[in-house]
Amino acid sequence: MGDNIRAGLISGIAFGVIIIITSLIGFFGTVSALLGEFLFDPKTQPAALYSLVLILALLGLWAGIRAAKPVGTDRWSGALVSGAVAGLSTGLFVGIYTLIIGGFNARGLDIRGYLAQMSPDAIRFLLFQLPPATAALSYFLLFTTTGLAGGFLAKTLGRGRLKKANQQLKSKITELWESTSVAVWLSKFPYTQYIVYGAIIILALLLPISLGQYWNFTLGTVGVYVLMGLGINIVVGMAGLLDLGYVAFFAVGAYTVGLLTSPQQLSQFQIDFWPAAFLAIVIAAITGIILGFPVLRLRGDYLAIVTLGFGEIIRILVRSDLLSDFTGGPQGVRQIDGPSLFGISLTNDRAYLYMIILAIMLAIFVTIRFKDSRVGRAWVAMREDETVSQAMGINTYTTKLLAFAVGAAFAGLGGVLFASRNQYIGPEDANLLVSINVLAVVIVGGMGSIPGVFLGAFVLKGLPEIMRQLQDYRILAFGALLVVMMIVRPEGLWPSQRRRLEMHEEELPLEELEETEAIGALEAALEESTK
Amino acid sequence: MAEIALTTRRKTRISGFRIVQIIVALLTIAFITWRFVGVLQSGIYGTDTWLRFIISGVIIGGVYSMIAIGYTLVYGILFMINFAHGEVMMLGAFSGYFVLEALRSWIVDPVNEVTFLNAYPIPAILLTFLVGMLTSMIIGVMLERIAYRPLRGAPRLVPLISAIGASIFFQNLAQLLFGPVRRIYANPTILDRANGIRLIVNEKTVVIQYTGIFTVIVSILMLVGLYLLVQRTRLGRAMRAVAQDKPTASLMGIDVDGVISRTFMISGILAGAAGVLWGIHNGIIYHYVGFIPGIKAFTAAVLGGIGNIPGAMLGGYFLGIVENLGPAILGIDFQLKDVIAFSILVLVLIFRPTGILGEVLSEEKV
Repeated sequence: MGDNIRAGLISGIAFGVIIIITSLIGFFGTVSALLGEFLFDPKTQPAALYSLVLILALLGLWAGIRAAKPVGTDRWSGALVSGAVAGLSTGLFVGIYTLIIGGFNARGLDIRGYLAQMSPDAIRFLLFQLPPATAALSYFLLFTTTGLAGGFLAKTLGRGRLKKANQQLKSKITELWESTSVAVWLSKFPYTQYIVYGAIIILALLLPISLGQYWNFTLGTVGVYVLMGLGINIVVGMAGLLDLGYVAFFAVGAYTVGLLTSPQQLSQFQIDFWPAAFLAIVIAAITGIILGFPVLRLRGDYLAIVTLGFGEIIRILVRSDLLSDFTGGPQGVRQIDGPSLFGISLTNDRAYLYMIILAIMLAIFVTIRFKDSRVGRAWVAMREDETVSQAMGINTYTTKLLAFAVGAAFAGLGGVLFASRNQYIGPEDANLLVSINVLAVVIVGGMGSIPGVFLGAFVLKGLPEIMRQLQDYRILAFGALLVVMMIVRPEGLWPSQRRRLEMHEEELPLEELEETEAIGALEAALEESTK
Repeated sequence: MAEIALTTRRKTRISGFRIVQIIVALLTIAFITWRFVGVLQSGIYGTDTWLRFIISGVIIGGVYSMIAIGYTLVYGILFMINFAHGEVMMLGAFSGYFVLEALRSWIVDPVNEVTFLNAYPIPAILLTFLVGMLTSMIIGVMLERIAYRPLRGAPRLVPLISAIGASIFFQNLAQLLFGPVRRIYANPTILDRANGIRLIVNEKTVVIQYTGIFTVIVSILMLVGLYLLVQRTRLGRAMRAVAQDKPTASLMGIDVDGVISRTFMISGILAGAAGVLWGIHNGIIYHYVGFIPGIKAFTAAVLGGIGNIPGAMLGGYFLGIVENLGPAILGIDFQLKDVIAFSILVLVLIFRPTGILGEVLSEEKV
């Protein structure tokens, strides 16, 4: 019983704190408004209020389940006590909090000066438009009942049962997959791969025509991230060099093309887009080598910090007065020229999307070729164990430099397209957050995997565009996502095969491992010798 | 014989990297001397100005060294960069701000309109520090529990990425909670930022602010306290044991997880104090205030040799002074102050990755 109460208290306090912080950042208000439109009819019902209650009830349920799950799901009393204690403590916390903010509001004090999201309206909404004491009481009751219900639920769908159901579902799905002859036939048909690739390519080529300007622009932004993601995929995913200053190369590419094609800057010579773009990519790659030269001796997190430092140095330099004759200082470079082909100007968003798609295809091609080559294998070996790979005769230094240069060239290409499409590049586009964003694209998608990059770029760049209402919480969620991903699924959403096996080595059942490796090898050896 | 032959051959062979190192070193030294001589000859900065640079460098160095200790302690034990440490400091600074605001609006003497803050400045400051340190401590411990503990034993990039995520999370949490406004710390009148000891140098006054003196004193006291804690107490011994060898330490009956948690507690306390000091001395805090000092403090920790506590203290002061003197010595704009700090980081890692005092860890870990 003591354990149950303690588990309930821990879960209750955790949920109480989470709920209070979530409400303080105004998240409940935004989400309930959004959900209310979706679930209820805003004309006849107080939709936002209903969905607020719904969200809170679900949170209460979750608190109860969490409290009851680890202990005492074998006995009814235990589960119910855990759930009830969790609900009670959550309710107490949130109730007191409601009383406090309600009290402030009732006295007419505006606390927005300290807590930015707590406008009187927002507080009244959080109090269900009730007086503070009543609201606190209803919060308390709501959480207590839902916590209890959560305990009940945890008992009925106990941990073991849930797991079993999950497994059954999985086996059923695989059965279904295997029994459907089309799927099997498709997976055995040798040209499926090519057909899928062809379909993807055709889709990619048709996409820009079928979309409007807004989506072309948005997808272009996502595409630039994909491009940079593919670049950092080589540096981080394949070669295992954590680069937190990746945006430096993006900035080098963008600024080079800006300086060479914009009429505005001090550099009087102005050249055509195509040679400028080529030069920008080459210069970005060279920058990669120059920056990589001194720092690539470092390992792991030291490298991360040094590259971060380099990224910041570049950003501060382009911002500074020292170089403002060239880079325009904080104003950035304007009037960057766009490309034209056979006299046709290709400066609309659709043309850029096509170019970005082509660039991505090129990048994928390069990546695949590298991956299967000697260099790619050297990268992977180096990532796995630098010392051993050195002993195997890999020149880790030049191999690392190559990874850096290729990654930098991709980023430079991304920078060229980005700057020329926006006709502008400024120091804030070279923010540290861009580096972290790109890194997160690879991490969320799955390090070392090409489809993973697409998935990551879509999740991190595309989804926020769709859910504009939640824009304020984007970066917050993004930080939390990185932490959660690392805990739950460090290999990413769509990992490469190798990564998946690496990260879950310990989860393979022991017998299976023995069978596949040790025993298999032994048997083979025995057979050899008996022959 | 064979051994001797091997060693001699090794000595005569200079690697390409070594040559690059020497060239870069010579170029850097030549560049700095050239610029410095130029600045001295032009005489834009008088003695008083140089003194001012050094004073502000020492003060900011005190704050850096306190944050740097947090990095060093955690790195020494877990071999991970606690990227979110700067944010722990920022949140400590914010909670101190709220305490001061509350005390400022609490009027104890309605006739003369004297606030608690000015009526009892010492308890007020003590309370501010206490709350700031407590907040940072709790956040530090929670951070370890939630974001780092589940990742024990994972590849080294994994906790680092988690730490980056936590850092972004806290920054934006603070922005959403408190708004993107810059806030001004309300100091009691005895710690007014405009007052200080006035020195006459070169017929010009140089002000050493009381807040600055206060900062340096507090930071030195806390650093001495920490040093004694690590060297003299049971907990300190346990921490050192865990830093050296976790499995062996746990065999000796040390609760490794508990020690790690307490390490985060201590580094959180120091970060909270640093945050409050930052607020009291610099006066302005906002959600981004922890980030750059955090990275610079990491630089300081690397400079002194990461894992090395006296090294982090020295590194903090050194970095503070160099960062303030650097732009003047090179005769460049003060906008580029951060560039100097980062360049020092890069240079140290290239030439002496073990830092000034040498790190406690083996070279393998760099």
